[in-house]
Amino acid sequence: MPKFTLNDQVIEAEDGQTIIQAAQDAGIDIPHYCYHPDLPIDGNCRMCLVEVEKMPKLTPSCTAIATEGMVVRSDSERVKEAVRGVLEFLLINHPVDCPVCDQAGECRLQDYYMVYGLHTSEIPLGMKVRKRKVIDLGPMVVLDQERCVLCSRCIRFFDYVTETGEMQFFGRGDHVAIGTFEDKPLDNPYSGNVVDICPVGALTSRDFRFKCRVWFLHSTDSVCAGCSTGCNVRVDHRDGTVFRLLPRRNTAVNESWLCDEGRLSFHELQTGERVVRPMIKGRDGIHAPVTWKDAVRSIDSRLKEVRDTNGSSSILGFGSPSATNESLFLLKRYLGGQLGASQFEFRADSEDKNVLEEEDQILRHFDKHPNSMGAIKLGLTSAELGGIEGAIKAARAGSIKAGVVIYLDPLVRRPGDDEAEGRILELIDSLEYSVLLAAHKAEWHASASVVLPVAAWLEEDGTYTNFQGRVQLAGKAIEAGGDALPAWEVFAMLLHASGAQSPWMSARDVFATMAESDTVYRGLTIEQTRLPGVVLR
Amino acid sequence: MTKILLANADKPGQNTIAKYRERGGYKALEKALGMEPSAIIDEVKASGLRGRGGAGFPTGMKWSFVPRNTGKPTYLLCNADESEPGTFKDRLLLEREPHLLIEGMAIAAYALGCHLSYIYMRGEFEFLERPIETALEEAYKAGLLGPSVLKRDFSLDIHLHMGAGAYICGEETSLIESLEGYRGYPRIKPPFPATHGFLASPTVVNNVETLAALPWIISNGAQAYAAIGTEKSKGTKLFSVSGHVKKPGVYEVDLGYPLLDFINNEAGGIPNGRKLKAVIPGGSSVPVLRAEECEGVLLDYESLLKAGSMLGSGGMIVLDDSVKMPEVLSVIADFYAHESCGQCTPCREGTGWAGKVLRNLVAGKGTKADVDRLLKIADMMEGKTICPLADADVMPIRSFVTKFRSEFEALCAI
Repeated sequence: MPKFTLNDQVIEAEDGQTIIQAAQDAGIDIPHYCYHPDLPIDGNCRMCLVEVEKMPKLTPSCTAIATEGMVVRSDSERVKEAVRGVLEFLLINHPVDCPVCDQAGECRLQDYYMVYGLHTSEIPLGMKVRKRKVIDLGPMVVLDQERCVLCSRCIRFFDYVTETGEMQFFGRGDHVAIGTFEDKPLDNPYSGNVVDICPVGALTSRDFRFKCRVWFLHSTDSVCAGCSTGCNVRVDHRDGTVFRLLPRRNTAVNESWLCDEGRLSFHELQTGERVVRPMIKGRDGIHAPVTWKDAVRSIDSRLKEVRDTNGSSSILGFGSPSATNESLFLLKRYLGGQLGASQFEFRADSEDKNVLEEEDQILRHFDKHPNSMGAIKLGLTSAELGGIEGAIKAARAGSIKAGVVIYLDPLVRRPGDDEAEGRILELIDSLEYSVLLAAHKAEWHASASVVLPVAAWLEEDGTYTNFQGRVQLAGKAIEAGGDALPAWEVFAMLLHASGAQSPWMSARDVFATMAESDTVYRGLTIEQTRLPGVVLR
Repeated sequence: MTKILLANADKPGQNTIAKYRERGGYKALEKALGMEPSAIIDEVKASGLRGRGGAGFPTGMKWSFVPRNTGKPTYLLCNADESEPGTFKDRLLLEREPHLLIEGMAIAAYALGCHLSYIYMRGEFEFLERPIETALEEAYKAGLLGPSVLKRDFSLDIHLHMGAGAYICGEETSLIESLEGYRGYPRIKPPFPATHGFLASPTVVNNVETLAALPWIISNGAQAYAAIGTEKSKGTKLFSVSGHVKKPGVYEVDLGYPLLDFINNEAGGIPNGRKLKAVIPGGSSVPVLRAEECEGVLLDYESLLKAGSMLGSGGMIVLDDSVKMPEVLSVIADFYAHESCGQCTPCREGTGWAGKVLRNLVAGKGTKADVDRLLKIADMMEGKTICPLADADVMPIRSFVTKFRSEFEALCAI
């Protein structure tokens, strides 16, 4: 653990760390383009040059390993001159595209210019090198070769992370241009990441192109709900609309990456009609909207009837592997605690088997739900029922009479989703009395006795437990709309209606109760679920 | 002048193996194979031989940086990418004395424990591809290469690999990248090729002329070589002279010989009754010397450095008083702009920009501010790049503009 000084501040580095890495860990940002903590080092931009005592030339801090007693300066005149020089060089052939470039507002050329540059351009526009613009590189990425600063991050991403090698430099000298061979579109499930790592507007997102200036966006930390990996995301939204997802760096889960499907999964969320009001099926078989108060009272009294007539074992709680831990916890507390129900399931497909199964070597898992592990850990598996098939059979046989079912549409679709949804419908059809908590509207909802509108992903705070058993906090970014409530709040109301304690004002409060109860979450705090999350024993 | 390298280069048809052996060729290799490899390295150290490609690094010391017993093979790469403007000495050796090079490579390979070696020759020398292949075939046939060199317990394969037209591939790490099949981008150092070179293995890259000097050193001994030249610049150097001289060509010179004597005697002096104006002594990457600055300067590493220039590759360009220095600089700057690989920011943008500013100046469209701009660009590039190509552009820009400023300003209306 060598100790070195940077601008008179003592920093302790890990063995083998470079100066820039150690500085970043200590919260000091040395300006750079080509360096990226999750990519191999290239040292080509020359922006990170620092003065190292006893070395005659300036040293790139991304390649120099920090050694004991090293004295480094990044704030001397010599370094500032050099950095200003590199910046000026980068800008001489850079097109003046800011007014039409998506990167504006989060562009490293702009940002560093304001700090290190502020010089007047000394090259006439006619003398600038011209390259190709607006090149279609497939469904995720648009390329502008002129804006490229040739940092090679995208090349290294495709060479070392996806190992598909689609991008490379062509040509020599100041005519070098980045691109794919013969403009072939990028056809790999992680192509969107190069948009994130491109420090300028050379690689931009086709999905986000021209939709919103970044300074209008608000950011919320959350977790992707596309699969059991639980990649950490930042949700950029404005006035209730989500515009894009960006990865948050979590070296224990997704490093700096997201898969393309997960990255675009918010579109699925914003597609289709929503369930807006609680609805109860009348004697005429038609759903009529009711208030939450009426709905909750009706449900509680009806379930108590079923319990009194047929016993508590005739009540089923069917959770969703896409529901938050807080929702599943209170589902159990209500049905189990108040009504004595003992049959709980969540498996409409083979989520418990797929939760650990990798779909590729990089990030994705086959299980396209964020909280299967959470459902398993909270005990929503029944050895007796063995999944939805067993539940359907039991319902048909009459041993299960009533059920509370949470169904949330998967955000990343796969063949087989329709079958799983069909099985939920079968279950509901087989129950005498069914309460369905759903977010997106579907025709088959008509089969349920009661339909309750709940919040979907990004519309509520909550925790998910990923395939590693890591509990991570997913933040709320937008409002649910209509009368929809987070599912945990529905159960809190039911608990209150049934005469139990119901003190929770937020998902945080529910988590705190989970952490006090006899669950796998015992002893944890909500703070632990922030980056990087906490792994259950 | 001692003839070590060019003893037989003038006579026609001397490049076959039969002719080479007639005049004692491959006897040095035989002698070397009877020596301990470490003894050969010591001999080369004692000879004072320095890299003849341009850097002038002591060859024996470079060899001694190679670790033995790493478990990885050691590679010897011959840098035949001669591309420094004004330099055409290696070409002569490749054309006229290919076996001298092969013998030198075999001696070096044996000393280094190398069994697989490559000659990386610039793509523009396509007319030499077949002749070098032929020389290698001859050597294999004669048992001088292959599984059992000269029937000893030493195997050596040498392959010829052609470049594809890039000056940057004369930089040793770029050469290695190109040889491995990648774009010729120089590598970050450390690690150095001595420990992590070709295929991440210990590698030595030596210039053609350096390797060609080895047979004589082994045959005649280090002391004999060290007896020639000066205290720190031992032996002989090939100079390829071009420009305004009566006898342009390749000459072998004892190091320490006076520069002006060389121009006026060996190279025949300035033709057409003109006067010497400037000399670029060692290839376009070294600072130019005004005629007055050449007084008393000797052709060796130290003297030229003291005079404000460098020995470099020995590619000497002589300019008379008819020459317009800004035009010369513009041609030189165009070369670096064309050859910059583009990997790192200062060189990629700076060489291109300087080239454009100079073209403007020469066309009469420049201003005095542009003259200062050239110096500013030079300062911005210097010492901040992955390889010295940018510095190689800085040297001529700075020396031309500083020493001939009035000529540049005269081109400007404002």
